[in-house]
Amino acid sequence: MRGNQANRLNDGGLIDRSAPLNFRFDGKAFSGFEGDTLASALVANGVKLVGRSFKYHRPRGILTAGSEEPNALVELRSGARREPNTKATTAELYEGLEAASQNRWPSLNFDVMSVNQLFAPIFVAGFYYKTFMWPAKFWEAIYEPAIRRAAGLGRAAGLSDPDHYDKVWAHCDVVIAGSGPAGLAAALAAGRSGARVILCEEDFVLGGRLLADGGTIDGLSAAEWVARTVAELEALPDVRIMTRTTLFGVYDGGTYGAIERVNDHLPAPPEHQVRQRLWRIVAKRCVVAAGAIERPIVFAGNDTPGVMMASAMRSYINRYAATPARRIALFTNNEDGWRTAETAIAAGLQVAAVIDARPDVSPAHRSLASKGGFPVLHGSVSGVDGGKSGVRKISVSLTGGARAEVEADGLAVSGGWNPAVGLTSYHRGRPKWRDDIAAFVPDGAPPGMVAAGAANGAFGLGACLREGFEAGATAARDAGRSGNTGSMPVADDAAFSLTPLWHVAGKGKAFVDQQHDVTASDVELAQREGFQSVEHLKRYTTLGMATDQGKTSNVAGLAIMAAVSGKSIPETGTTIYRPPYVPVAIGAFAGHHRDENFHATRLTPSHHWAAEQGAIFVDTGLWKRAQWYPRAGEKDWLESVTREVKAVRSGVGFCDVSTLGKIDVHGPDAGAFLDRVYINAFSSLAVGKARYGLMLREDGIVYDDGTTSRLAEDHYFLTTTTAKAGLVMQHLEFCRQVLFPELDVQLTSVSDQWAQFSIAGPKTRDLLKEIVDPAEDLSNEGFPFMGAREVKLRGGLKARLFRISFSGEMAFEISVPARYGEAMARNLMIAGKPFGVTPYGTEALGVMRIEKGHVAGPELNGTTTAADLGLGKMMSTKKDFIGRVMAGREALTALNRQVVVGIKPTDKARRLRSGAHIIPKGETPGPDNDQGYVTSVCFSPVLDQWIGLGLVERGRERIGEIVRAHDPLRGEDYDVELCNSVFYDPDGGRQRG
Amino acid sequence: MADFSWDVRSPLDRALVVGPYGAQGDAGLALTEIRDFDLVQVMARRGKAGAMTKATKAHFGVAAPETPKAVAAADATLIWSGPDQFLVLSKGGRHALEMLAPVFAGSASLSDQSHARALISVSGDKARATLAKLSSIDLHPGVFGVGAAAATSMDHTSVTLWRGRDRSGLAVFNLLVFATFAESLWHTILDSAAEYGVTISHSEEFA
Repeated sequence: MRGNQANRLNDGGLIDRSAPLNFRFDGKAFSGFEGDTLASALVANGVKLVGRSFKYHRPRGILTAGSEEPNALVELRSGARREPNTKATTAELYEGLEAASQNRWPSLNFDVMSVNQLFAPIFVAGFYYKTFMWPAKFWEAIYEPAIRRAAGLGRAAGLSDPDHYDKVWAHCDVVIAGSGPAGLAAALAAGRSGARVILCEEDFVLGGRLLADGGTIDGLSAAEWVARTVAELEALPDVRIMTRTTLFGVYDGGTYGAIERVNDHLPAPPEHQVRQRLWRIVAKRCVVAAGAIERPIVFAGNDTPGVMMASAMRSYINRYAATPARRIALFTNNEDGWRTAETAIAAGLQVAAVIDARPDVSPAHRSLASKGGFPVLHGSVSGVDGGKSGVRKISVSLTGGARAEVEADGLAVSGGWNPAVGLTSYHRGRPKWRDDIAAFVPDGAPPGMVAAGAANGAFGLGACLREGFEAGATAARDAGRSGNTGSMPVADDAAFSLTPLWHVAGKGKAFVDQQHDVTASDVELAQREGFQSVEHLKRYTTLGMATDQGKTSNVAGLAIMAAVSGKSIPETGTTIYRPPYVPVAIGAFAGHHRDENFHATRLTPSHHWAAEQGAIFVDTGLWKRAQWYPRAGEKDWLESVTREVKAVRSGVGFCDVSTLGKIDVHGPDAGAFLDRVYINAFSSLAVGKARYGLMLREDGIVYDDGTTSRLAEDHYFLTTTTAKAGLVMQHLEFCRQVLFPELDVQLTSVSDQWAQFSIAGPKTRDLLKEIVDPAEDLSNEGFPFMGAREVKLRGGLKARLFRISFSGEMAFEISVPARYGEAMARNLMIAGKPFGVTPYGTEALGVMRIEKGHVAGPELNGTTTAADLGLGKMMSTKKDFIGRVMAGREALTALNRQVVVGIKPTDKARRLRSGAHIIPKGETPGPDNDQGYVTSVCFSPVLDQWIGLGLVERGRERIGEIVRAHDPLRGEDYDVELCNSVFYDPDGGRQRG
Repeated sequence: MADFSWDVRSPLDRALVVGPYGAQGDAGLALTEIRDFDLVQVMARRGKAGAMTKATKAHFGVAAPETPKAVAAADATLIWSGPDQFLVLSKGGRHALEMLAPVFAGSASLSDQSHARALISVSGDKARATLAKLSSIDLHPGVFGVGAAAATSMDHTSVTLWRGRDRSGLAVFNLLVFATFAESLWHTILDSAAEYGVTISHSEEFA
């Protein structure tokens, strides 16, 4: 034995005494052993007080030895890894572990907030609905912050999580939750059948209750049987055993969620490893062998440190060789609780008394009592004398009315067992009541799932093995596996007798939900105030809403509700069960998708070249696009962008436009197909020509635009906007497959096949002549505006050239297969050097399109019609097309619609801001006088002032009118003039030149 | 006149650093980018699936895959990509778009995808464990055998995944990813495989 572990037994248990571990709790140094949990190590060190309660700041100890723990919650680790509300009962001890108690100030021993107990009368159920009602404005400013300080759990780290998390898929025939006798037997049967099996165990050791309660199976000790079984399972190639893994949810189609705590048992994950891993398991069948949870009995002082579940006490003594008390009293209403008395005696501890609520005690237990020299008291515990240093004395109400007192420093409680019905009930299942065990058991389960063993209400060891084995065999068979399951493991069944007892009336606070400080009187109060439905009871009292989700409290709560409302427990019913079974960190759900990896990114073919040039990138959907290319000495983005625009307008520039969606439209009916999806005609387009097209949604609103070129009789090359690339492809596939299956047309996305650059400016042709084979005719006659064809480049490479312009300048778009994209950018720089070629980004692109009055995303905003955009004349009257009929609706053709118009401030020095609302002069800003808003703005180097586009009521009829731009967001209000939306080269001479 | 060189550059050219990555020791994963391949999408014209199948058999000597499969021909792999469509993966121009155009004239529409994808080959002890982090497809040997294929997604990115011929007794998985997503997915794969240790390389030859 080592150091201060005064409550550690000299031998026994599943701890490794040769591997001591040092740890700190609230700054104080302790030691434990490998195999300990933080809770078992605290027990071994005699620490009874581990936290303060949520509302009343009452001293609390350790109640359980598992994931159902309501009280022993700590802040584990420090700094960025500090994790609040960690259950000491499942946290594995490691060297250097640091933990701190929660919800106390200034210290656990002396907590000033425990004065809350004096005000307990106002902290009753629903207190915040009743007490802090008036004045209303005090709620946010005073009441809520004060309550949050006083009540609560641990503190979040407040820093970015330094660890990584993973998400993984797994597939199997049978997934099994729990590795107790039922789970192991199920795995044996399924595994021997040849099934692919995944066995999930939330503990770090396999065996479930066998680890604490032992038993004899197939003539072997439980430990020997577990070892033999695990060895057999591990030898099967398709059986995967996962410890530290909780199956926490079941979802549609046989998909299960599990959380694996890969490295929570270490101070920090080893390099390159994840902290936790979220598993999505697709399984044909599921066996829930998640066991049962021992339930408390509600009595006054039942939250005193030292009051512990009887089964938990056995776990600490047998599994961890740690003794929670020296002199133990046991309060039970069932046969199983007596095992704790047997365990205590075997460990050399004193048993002060057994208080048994049943009328009879078995002869075997009577003789145990007389041999052990302790009394058996028929009755109930009605009070506990003790405080933060633990239990001292227990008051007992004896059957018949007399009272007794028992001196003890620990009280084990067993109120029976509740099968873990969570997983089986997550698809809105309602468990059914079984009188013989006074517990809810699964009543059906989601498709493919079955419960076995204690999770199904079978509490005997033999029954657990039998149910588990049969469930595993059946699951494997249902999954199509027919191997020989071999012989079933056999054990005896212990008798189980129980007299239901939920609540012992008495003076003092009797806690139902210890984590949320909900008492029996809160439940009774809720009933008196009309909150009788269990769902109302839950919300009004917050019973079962803490991080433990009421695992030890829900059934007791509704049993008390049943008693006070004069109904039976099944009539009272259960609340809806929802996943996750245990709390799961959001980080695990996110996996690698955090920070810059929050979503996938797309890079243009010239991305790395642009980065070399010092481009500033902007996120455009998934894309990273070059926004502008700053040069030394430029003081801000506006200076860079203005330079880029001027360089294009006076010389030549280029921009990577590969982000546009690109679709090959093939087939004899390609033209007919495009006629139906675009408002204008494409079957009439000549080979070698491009045309601007506009497509509508079914409802007549504009969907997308772009140029489409005809490269061959049966081959069109369609482009979409960057934003809608994927959606338009989906839309067109829907049209092809569902709406027009009679058309012979094939679609392929070629967005990533082509690197495409816009080359614009009066010197574009000069640049192109350098790079395009001299045999190609680029003259206005040889390659007119809206021409489109393949050309040969110097060096033999073939490219596609489109004479289209978004900038209003003489312009071409050139495309080459994407792996040549970077070479193209470099070669454009070389070819354009004599002409001062300037790469430009999306900002300059935007400036030039606004100067030219082209509509883009802000105008194609899902509310505008073709006519609103000034493109109404494109709507063909000679053919049908998607959206035609609905576009004719009255509201979409109304004369007072907001339409695209140019806008410029009357004060040339003023900056125009998008989002500003248009209000007629002399009117009061407000919804009644709101005539539209500014959609796109830029500083126009050509006009030397800020200009914009807007959607304004009857805008095109009001050219020249002065209106107000009202911008309450920025506190601005100024005069603007409505003007022609084409600010630059309105007759289009430059792009045709 | 200026000198223009038309060097091809793989979309993974910058991201791919040849050598070991992640955990040290014996690498659990080999990650190889296959560069410079020809890839053509073949889609049957309406009612011409039979003619397309016949043309495929005549040209490649094997039938086109009609279910999610990758079929190996003498010098090409035909990978199912949807009903009545498949991809032709090859090297050296022998089955490039211009070569296939006459083969499928009238029976199928062809679209060049050679530059639209990056091809990544994943193998090693931990290939399945790594891919399980990225893909919802069941890659158990009894389910996803040699030649099995899937049009699926990884990291919200569309991919074509198929199992090639085993190498040194270990399964080899190939995945075609859209070129503009390639670098992003590459980093995700490395993130996922770092704990196993990775050997990174690129090759001009198919695995």
